[in-house]
Amino acid sequence: MSGLIEVQLLNGIVQGMIYALLAAGLTLIFGMLDIPNFAHGAFYALGAYVAFTVVSLTGNFWLAIVIVPLVVAGLGLVVDAFAMRRLARTGHVYQILFTLGLVLIVQESIVLIWGANPTSINVPAGLDGGVPLGVVTFPYYRLFLVAAAALVIVAVWFALERTRYGAIIRAGIDDPEMVDCIGINVQRLFTIVFGIGVGLAALAGALILPIRGGQPAMGNELMATSFAVVVIGGLGSYLGAVVGGLFIGLTQAVMTMLYPAASEVAIFAAMALIILIRPQGLFGKR
Amino acid sequence: MRRFAILVVLVAVAPLVLRYPELETQILTFGLLAVAFNLLLGEMGFLSFGQATFNGVGAYIAARALLDAHAPLPIALLGALLAGGAAAALVGALAITGRGVYGVMLTFAFNEMAYFIAFQWRSVTGGDDGLRGIPRPDVFGISLDDATRYYYFTALVVLLAFAAVLRIVDSPFGAVLRAIRENEGRARAIGFRVRRFKIAAFALSGALSGLAGGLYAELFHFVPLQAIDLDTSTNIVIAALLGGIGSPYGALLGAAIFTVLSNSLSHVWAHWPLIFGLVFCAVVLFFRTGLWGITERWSRRAAHA
Repeated sequence: MSGLIEVQLLNGIVQGMIYALLAAGLTLIFGMLDIPNFAHGAFYALGAYVAFTVVSLTGNFWLAIVIVPLVVAGLGLVVDAFAMRRLARTGHVYQILFTLGLVLIVQESIVLIWGANPTSINVPAGLDGGVPLGVVTFPYYRLFLVAAAALVIVAVWFALERTRYGAIIRAGIDDPEMVDCIGINVQRLFTIVFGIGVGLAALAGALILPIRGGQPAMGNELMATSFAVVVIGGLGSYLGAVVGGLFIGLTQAVMTMLYPAASEVAIFAAMALIILIRPQGLFGKR
Repeated sequence: MRRFAILVVLVAVAPLVLRYPELETQILTFGLLAVAFNLLLGEMGFLSFGQATFNGVGAYIAARALLDAHAPLPIALLGALLAGGAAAALVGALAITGRGVYGVMLTFAFNEMAYFIAFQWRSVTGGDDGLRGIPRPDVFGISLDDATRYYYFTALVVLLAFAAVLRIVDSPFGAVLRAIRENEGRARAIGFRVRRFKIAAFALSGALSGLAGGLYAELFHFVPLQAIDLDTSTNIVIAALLGGIGSPYGALLGAAIFTVLSNSLSHVWAHWPLIFGLVFCAVVLFFRTGLWGITERWSRRAAHA
C-alpha cells in the first residue's frame, strides 16, 4: 500500500491545479466581466488539440505551451469582439445560449480537423522519469505541471493586483463609465481580459495533453466542474477560484478512493449547497 | 384557433406523407418537452438547464407502473405527469432562490444529481443498460400494438396538452408569468406572490415533461439512461431556441426540425452538429425570435403587401 495513497493525493493536486487554471480564467470572464462562458471547456479542449498539432509539427512541447494560449486567446478576442459585446445588452440568457452554440461548433470542428479518435503525445524529453515513492514512482512531468500552473496563476494575480494595467482593469470593472471618461477604451480592455481568461483554459488543455491525451468531448465535463469551482470559491474571487480548484481536485482524488461513482456528483452537490446556503461562495466578500 | 386547426390537420396527415410513425411520435414527445421548456423561458424568462430531469422521472415512473403493477396506460401516464410535476416543483422551489446564472446552474446541478441517481439505482432504472421490455397495453380495449396507432394515440395526448398550454398562456396566470419576466420587482410590488407563481410554472412545465417521458417509454418499449442526461436537456434548449421562444408553436416547430435533421443529416454528413452550431449561434445573435418569429414577420409582411 505504501506510496499509493500519497500518489493518489499528488494526482489530486495535479488535477486541482488544472481546475485552478480553468477556474482562474473563468473567474476573470464570469466573475469580473459577468459573461457566463459555457464554452470555457471547449477552449480547454481546443488548447489540447492545438498543442497536439504544434508538437506534431515541431516536436517541441515547450514551444506548444507558449503558442497555444496565444492562439486560443486570439480566438477569444474575436469571439468577444464580434459576439459577446453584441450580446452584453441582452443579458445572461443569450450569452449562455451563444456559448452553448460555440461548444457545438468547437467540438465538431475538432472532430472534423483532428478526427474523433483520442490523440496523445509523449511526455517531453527530460521529464520522462519519476520520483520514487515507496513501490511506485511519481512522474516528473506532473511535478512540472503543478509548478508551471502555479507560476502562471501567480503571474496573472500579480498582473491584476500589482501593475498599472491591472489597476485599470479593476477600475474598469468597478465603474466602466468613469474609466471611459478618463479616455481609456474599456471595451477593448474587457476584450483583452476575455482573451486572457480563454488563454488560461487553453494552457490547462495543453498541460494535460501529455498525461491524458485529447478527445473531442474532453471539455464538457470540465466546463461544469470549473463553473462549480468558481461558484464554490466565490464569484469574482481569484483566490477563491484557485483554492476552490485545489480543494475540488483533492476531494475528487479522495472520493475516487472511497466511492468512485460519486466523485463527479459530489462536486455538483457541493455547488448546489453553496448557492443555497452561502451564495457569495467560500471566499466571496458580499 | 386557425393555427391550432392547421396543426391538428398536419399532425393527422403526417403519417400518410412521411411513413416513419416512430420518428413522428418522437417529434411529438420531444415537441412536448420543448413546449414545456418554453413555458419557463419564453413566458417566465427562466432558463432551465435541467428539463431532462422531469422527462426521465416521468419515463421511469410510467415504465415501473407498467412493468410492476401492470397499470393501464392512462394511469401510468397520469403517474408520469404527477411525478414530473412534483419533481419540478421541488427543483424549481430550490432553483429560483439562485439569482441569475446561479438559478441556471442549480437546474444544471440537480439534473446531474438526478442522472447520477438513475445511473446508480439499477434495480429501478436499469442503470446505463436502460430499462427494457416495457409493455404497451390496450387503451379502452383498443390495441396500440401498431406503430401508426401509437402515433395517433400520442398525437391525441400531445395535442390535448398543447391546447392546455395555449389556454394557460392566454390566461391571467400566463399574464402574471410574463409580468415576472418583464419586471419581477414590479410584479411583486403589485401584490403577486412571485415565488408561488414561479413554482407553479415549474410544476406545470415538469408535468408536461413527465408526460412526454411517459409517452416515450412505450414507443420503443425502452427507457435509455439518456432520457435523464444533460445532453437531452441541452438538446431541448437548442430545439426550442431554434424554433423561437416567443410562442409555443415555435418550440414545437424547433423540436420537429431538430428531430428530423438529427435523424436524417447524421446519415448525410457526420459533422452536421457543426452546421447546427453555426445556425444556432446565428439565431442567438441575429434572429432572437427564432424560425417561428421569422415566418410570422414574413406572413405579416405578405398580409400588408
